[in-house]
Amino acid sequence: MAEEGVRAETPTVRKLSRLERLPIRRIVLTVLTVAIAVVVGGGIYKTLTLPEAERLGWTFWANLMVIGLALGAVYALIALGYTLVYGILRMINFAHGEVFMAGAFGSYFFATAYADSGFLNAHPWAALGILFLVGMTVSTAIAVLLERVAYRPLRNAPRLVPLITAIGASLFLQNSFQGFFGSQTRGYPRPSILDGTIQIGQVSFDKIDPVVIITAIVVMAGLQFFVKRTKTGKAMRAVAQDREIASLMGIDVDRVVVTTFVLGGMLAGIAGVLYALTFGQVGATMGFLPGIAAFTAAVLGGIGSIPGAAIGGLTLGVAESVGPYLLLIGIDVPSPYELRGVITFSILVLVLIFRPGGILGTGEAEKV
Amino acid sequence: MTPLLEVAGVSKHFGGLYALNALDLHVDEGEIVSVIGPNGAGKSTVFNVITGLYAPDAGDVRFRGESILGRLPSQVTKLGIARTFQNVKLFPNMTVLENAMVGQHCRSRTGVLGAILRTPKTKAEEARIRERAQEALAFFGSRLSGYRQDQSANTLSYANRRRLEMARAMATEPSLLLLDEPTAGMNPRETLELRDHIKRMRDERGLTILVIEHDMRVVKGVSDRVVALDYGQRIAQGTYEEVANDEHVIEAYLGTKAVG
Amino acid sequence: MDRSIARTAVFTGAIAGIVVIYLALVGMIERLDDLPIIGRVGMDTILIFLPAAVGGWVVTRPRVVGGERRTTTPGAAAVTGMAEGLVAGVVVELALGLVSVLGIETVRQVFSAVSPALIEIMRFHMAPVPAAVVMIAGTTFVGLAGGVLRVLPKEVRAPIASGLFAIVVVALLQRVIAPAFDQMNIERDWLYSPVTTGLTWIGGAVVFVLTAAAVRFHLGRWLAGILMPSRYPSAAPATAPSDAEGTNREASSEDRRTSLDAGISRRGIAIVAWCVIALIVAFLPYLVGPVVSRILGTVGIFLLLGLGLNIVVGFAGLLDLGYVAFFAVGAYFTAILTGGQRVTFTGYEAPAFGFHLSFYAALPIVIAIAALVGVIIGAPVLRLRGDYLAIVTLGFGEIARVIFGSTWAQSLFGGSLGMSGITAAKVPGVPMNFQADPRHFYFLVLVFCLLAVFVSWRLQGSRVGRAWNAMREDEQVADAMGISTTRFKLLAFAMGGAIGAVGGALFAVSLGSLTIASFQILVSITALAVIILGGLGSIPGVVVGALVLIGLPGLLTQFVDYRLLIYGAVLIAIMLLRPQGLVPNVRVSRELKEDERSQDQWAKHLLEQDATDAPEPTGGALT
Repeated sequence: MAEEGVRAETPTVRKLSRLERLPIRRIVLTVLTVAIAVVVGGGIYKTLTLPEAERLGWTFWANLMVIGLALGAVYALIALGYTLVYGILRMINFAHGEVFMAGAFGSYFFATAYADSGFLNAHPWAALGILFLVGMTVSTAIAVLLERVAYRPLRNAPRLVPLITAIGASLFLQNSFQGFFGSQTRGYPRPSILDGTIQIGQVSFDKIDPVVIITAIVVMAGLQFFVKRTKTGKAMRAVAQDREIASLMGIDVDRVVVTTFVLGGMLAGIAGVLYALTFGQVGATMGFLPGIAAFTAAVLGGIGSIPGAAIGGLTLGVAESVGPYLLLIGIDVPSPYELRGVITFSILVLVLIFRPGGILGTGEAEKV
Repeated sequence: MTPLLEVAGVSKHFGGLYALNALDLHVDEGEIVSVIGPNGAGKSTVFNVITGLYAPDAGDVRFRGESILGRLPSQVTKLGIARTFQNVKLFPNMTVLENAMVGQHCRSRTGVLGAILRTPKTKAEEARIRERAQEALAFFGSRLSGYRQDQSANTLSYANRRRLEMARAMATEPSLLLLDEPTAGMNPRETLELRDHIKRMRDERGLTILVIEHDMRVVKGVSDRVVALDYGQRIAQGTYEEVANDEHVIEAYLGTKAVG
Repeated sequence: MDRSIARTAVFTGAIAGIVVIYLALVGMIERLDDLPIIGRVGMDTILIFLPAAVGGWVVTRPRVVGGERRTTTPGAAAVTGMAEGLVAGVVVELALGLVSVLGIETVRQVFSAVSPALIEIMRFHMAPVPAAVVMIAGTTFVGLAGGVLRVLPKEVRAPIASGLFAIVVVALLQRVIAPAFDQMNIERDWLYSPVTTGLTWIGGAVVFVLTAAAVRFHLGRWLAGILMPSRYPSAAPATAPSDAEGTNREASSEDRRTSLDAGISRRGIAIVAWCVIALIVAFLPYLVGPVVSRILGTVGIFLLLGLGLNIVVGFAGLLDLGYVAFFAVGAYFTAILTGGQRVTFTGYEAPAFGFHLSFYAALPIVIAIAALVGVIIGAPVLRLRGDYLAIVTLGFGEIARVIFGSTWAQSLFGGSLGMSGITAAKVPGVPMNFQADPRHFYFLVLVFCLLAVFVSWRLQGSRVGRAWNAMREDEQVADAMGISTTRFKLLAFAMGGAIGAVGGALFAVSLGSLTIASFQILVSITALAVIILGGLGSIPGVVVGALVLIGLPGLLTQFVDYRLLIYGAVLIAIMLLRPQGLVPNVRVSRELKEDERSQDQWAKHLLEQDATDAPEPTGGALT
């Protein structure tokens, strides 16, 4: 037949070549796993077995742990914002780091005013209360503005589009704040009641750290209560599971989405003030790295899960603090603290490759 | 003679649900075999396992005697098994011709270098790809030929989309073609026309065909053999008359006779 | 005027006013005070009144009331526009009033842009009360203009708007056009005022009239049709009422005959046109001078980055936010391979592994390294979905930045102090010194850009491009059709990375030295903004994007500080208003509008179809 004749001219390959049979992905991943295990394991081993004179004492590690937990608490609060929005809208609110920054910056003006007038030290808890309120308000305002202007019109667009919009929004907010307030970092005052260190046994750490941790835990507990026990919380969970059906059941999806952003904003605002109090400075670009770190934390714990964000945040905070020293001192890497970003991103990449569901996820590869 | 395709004892479960339960199925070269069964019987799942989309939990799939388990879907297509989908999955924003040309991808080799340099060999291959794609489209006559070829696929009518998907699958020059409910959503005239097309696919192009169908006119008209599934297992196989009158099959579709 | 329209007018006006206040607070208005556009009117004045004008346009949108689409009557448009403008002006004046009540110094403690100079500008250098009158009258007028523009027929509206836009563009391009005129010995004082460097009123009028005429007679469309006939199969310049179908319907048999001969001479015109363009591009550095040439060199580098990223994002659909990694690889490895030195506190030292190859010998090696890095970055992310892919690649970009700038890798890359002494790329026989003469660099970059355009173009139309398209539209189905998505994703990363590395290599030799500060994530985002503005997957789009986003801020130092702000705003605006970009790739354009469209197409066919042989309605000439 004519068809056969035509086909016989150019041989078509029916067998797979050796190269094609190689499971490339599996090979690369195995190599990667082994390499990481070697680096991590080796680094830790060497650090912990340094000769007596050079070895870092347990007080050192304990101190780092506390710092890490405080940092992690802040990350957890920000991560909750990511996880909530992702659960409801299946999008990464790339500009959430700027929401965090806005709260910190907003409260800055009040903080310096209070510091100058003495109010901050005279009535620290009242002052702090107001600072938190201001921070939350500014953050929430920005978050709601984002949702209304940039995200709502794109709710049904292909996924690439809102992500790019979010990136644009992040740039825009960062640079707007730079335009308004200048690009230099500003010193953030701390009430004297939170200054200084506490000593427990041989370990000393900054007073601010446990305050941050406790505040964060309380807030997260409140959020968990809200989501699990209130009607709005239930509506949120419904929309997260299936937006269309939820709206058919009479739930006002727009309202739920706004509520989600409000919650995320409030949490980020609190985180912003805590962060400013801890590190003593604010700046227009302060949101970028913590934003990414918090997103990593959300993914690490299991995106879409509130306890996951908490666990992920705390874990990541400790990893960022302790990690550089634990892994790298032993193998003689100078200035390990510089490389903490590498640790954060490596964790992100590894989690997404090997266990995209995070710590609290099911461990199965997501069927896309 | 070894069957072209053998599905041997394949099981696949999702959570607690067994989509396929120790299923046995085979297709000989040159046959047209229909797979029927009530909804949820596991028919599309079989296709997904055969083409490598799912890995079965037990059993084997053999093509020309060799196991193809664990192969990537792209590799399965290259070996000579092509499929269509239950919900038509075209590349909506590519033109009709481009959709068909994608089918020829696994039968061509031009890589980056060839693409950039546009050697005579590349140009010849590109012309051949185009020609083969047009041949595949021409199988459905004027519907997918001429000026239609440059229209983007999402402007086609539903029936033409189905046809395009089949043409695209045929463009991969398969030995075995898996059709997943090809007449779903077509009106009676289109359905009968497609029934004849399926026969022509085997007669003119030498394809072996495994087709999932609900429309019994089509099943009756094309099948050399019919396999009936229910709850992931084969409950009957044979000619259309045999299967249509098999009591298990009737029970699966209609339920048991009420007592009294 | 009914209640809801009134409410919209007030709301829109308030927003417009807030936008003006925003622009003032962020510092743009003050900064742009010294950017004259026409006569004494500077960019700042335009920024003050533009939001109200846009508001007037927006508020007179046709509305859907009770299922009907109602366009605004001219009278209503005028009134609504005026109302909107009025509110905008009032809002701004209220803000100014607030500032004077609180005191400039007080407000300045929070918003650093509020200064006496700014207030002067906002008051048009007049006393407060007359200034307020001028402001409100002005905003009301432009609001009216915006509204009226809406109700003008299309043939009048488009030319007017384009004419105004052209005035701004020509004014902004003074630094390019003026030297070019000088070089060609063309008198230019009539066009650009020697005093203010903005347009003269006469010059502005000329520009306006020419542009309006060009738009009115569809010269732009005609030119595009000549230059890129496959993309714009358009008709001849229209003298009939402008309506795309209209020109076809009214085409007489005589037109058809002339268009047959026109077919042949069209090609002739096209060849001539392209030759002219080529000549201009080739001689550009001599026309515009060294300073602008240097800017064009930078545009060229980002054009390369854009082309490379276009392959990854536009062709293959992989959103890579860490593209700066390839840029850094290209720059740093070129430095190492061509004899660059590390900067240390005590001077210069050779890197731990260094060679002294020529630029052209080092380039293939650098490309190979970059391709390898592409595969390494790509392999772990093969199964990741859009947003996750973006974040992970972002992470890789940051990892690269940290490593290249780290103390740990200092022996190779110079750590935070960077590298220096990178030998420029030499062409045998031609003395080249890029710092002294940026024009040579321009040609070097131009050559590589042309290469990259060529490669992209060839890939796009080939089997590889087809595979990428399929993969981008539906990965699972592409797999099922025999496309090894693994291979093609890695290929995209490798090719995109290679081009990006070439950009980095050129960057290194253009500057002669490198610091890690040049390799922030902003590079990735800028490249992304370039391709998004231009149009994802569209090669001409990348060119346009690079010219606008890199060229303009480069030319106009007043915009440099606001570059990133503008990028962010552009990304948001494009995604909201025109996601397919300025010069769209036809296919991507369909994809992005898919969900509007697929429903309609579907329904249309259900209704219109009776017999299966009925030809499907064509949606116009789709290419």
